[in-house]
Amino acid sequence: MRRSYIVLISLISVIFVLAYLTTYMGILGPISSDTRYLAKLFLALTYNPDTSTSLRYLTAMSPEAVTAIVWDYRGIDTFYETTVFFMAIVSALTIYRGITNIESKTQGSGLSIIVRVVTKLLIPMNIAIAVSIAVHGHLTPGGGFQAGAALAVISVLLAVVFSGYSFGKLGMGISKAVALRSMGLLGIATVTLLPLIYGIVAGVQTYLMQNYMKVDSPFTFPIYAWGQLISGTLIWLNLAEFLAVSFGFFVIFMLLSLREETVKKYLGVGDGH
Amino acid sequence: MDTNFLERFLVIFALYNLLATIGVSIYGIVARPHITKKIIALTILGDALNVLAIFLGFKPSSIPPVLLKTDTISEGDIIKFATSAVDPLPQALVLTAIVIGLAVNLFLIFLALQIFRLYGTLDSRKIRELRG
Repeated sequence: MRRSYIVLISLISVIFVLAYLTTYMGILGPISSDTRYLAKLFLALTYNPDTSTSLRYLTAMSPEAVTAIVWDYRGIDTFYETTVFFMAIVSALTIYRGITNIESKTQGSGLSIIVRVVTKLLIPMNIAIAVSIAVHGHLTPGGGFQAGAALAVISVLLAVVFSGYSFGKLGMGISKAVALRSMGLLGIATVTLLPLIYGIVAGVQTYLMQNYMKVDSPFTFPIYAWGQLISGTLIWLNLAEFLAVSFGFFVIFMLLSLREETVKKYLGVGDGH
Repeated sequence: MDTNFLERFLVIFALYNLLATIGVSIYGIVARPHITKKIIALTILGDALNVLAIFLGFKPSSIPPVLLKTDTISEGDIIKFATSAVDPLPQALVLTAIVIGLAVNLFLIFLALQIFRLYGTLDSRKIRELRG
């Protein structure tokens, strides 16, 4: 125990001395008080409704620069990140292959009545916050990923407070969650391919994941709906990602909350060795 | 010791601390035999790298990259926003990396659970000696 303290203190002092020496000798130079040119470009163009200049062909029409980068400027990047997420869940499902539905048990499970009532009150608020984060993703910090993670908290709460059987009681099977997650992925694919379909039908040039009109392409998603800024594709992609991420996590936490005996019965695994 | 020196020292100290955290977590992944500790070290590595990415995009006395005024916006507002906000690109990369990292970590936990079910241990030294 004492040895680990000595290691910790010596590590911190080495870092301190190194940092002091670096600062004193000026090896790293002065701290830049300015962002890079690329960052300035992103910030200036993210919401630029100026129709008089050619800048309007580069804007994403979203006041939130991070969402604009995630789903417009670097949309294909995010598409592949979603693929990584998809593959991680598919791999987890492969380990648990054969288990499609969770059995339900009505009594003798979960925590005390106080915890259960408080959790029942918290869950609607949690859903409201998650949907709000997803729908306002193009206006305020947040978006599909964060909203999905916020909604996934409910699955953990259900598993801990009401036990793993509560998913079956709510009619929330693994196959249903997988179907909802696939719906989210299909939504992303639809929004990605819509400009192409429009281009083929109308005979104009369009791009994959196109949000706002380009110099050589007149296609643009509706930027406003009922007087509200929805930033074209961004709100739809955020909602689709919200579905995909939240129910992906639902699947994983449902599988994690399964009883060990059930899993061993399905997987045909003995008790070790 | 003037304020400029102190500011620079604190930034460099934070940077070195992050690099040391990355180093310690890589040590944890490589040298610790227990799989649970490897996964914990991996999560620390991921978080440290995310903080490093945010750290590189930071600049002193700045605002978040969110434009709050959208209905009546002028050119001056956009110029002011572009010159005072932080770099949004590292934030965009970290935003997705956190959720993807969570999913990958959960997958690793599933693998570890399965290893425990099959072999009855999570010690990688013992797993190496087992057969079948």
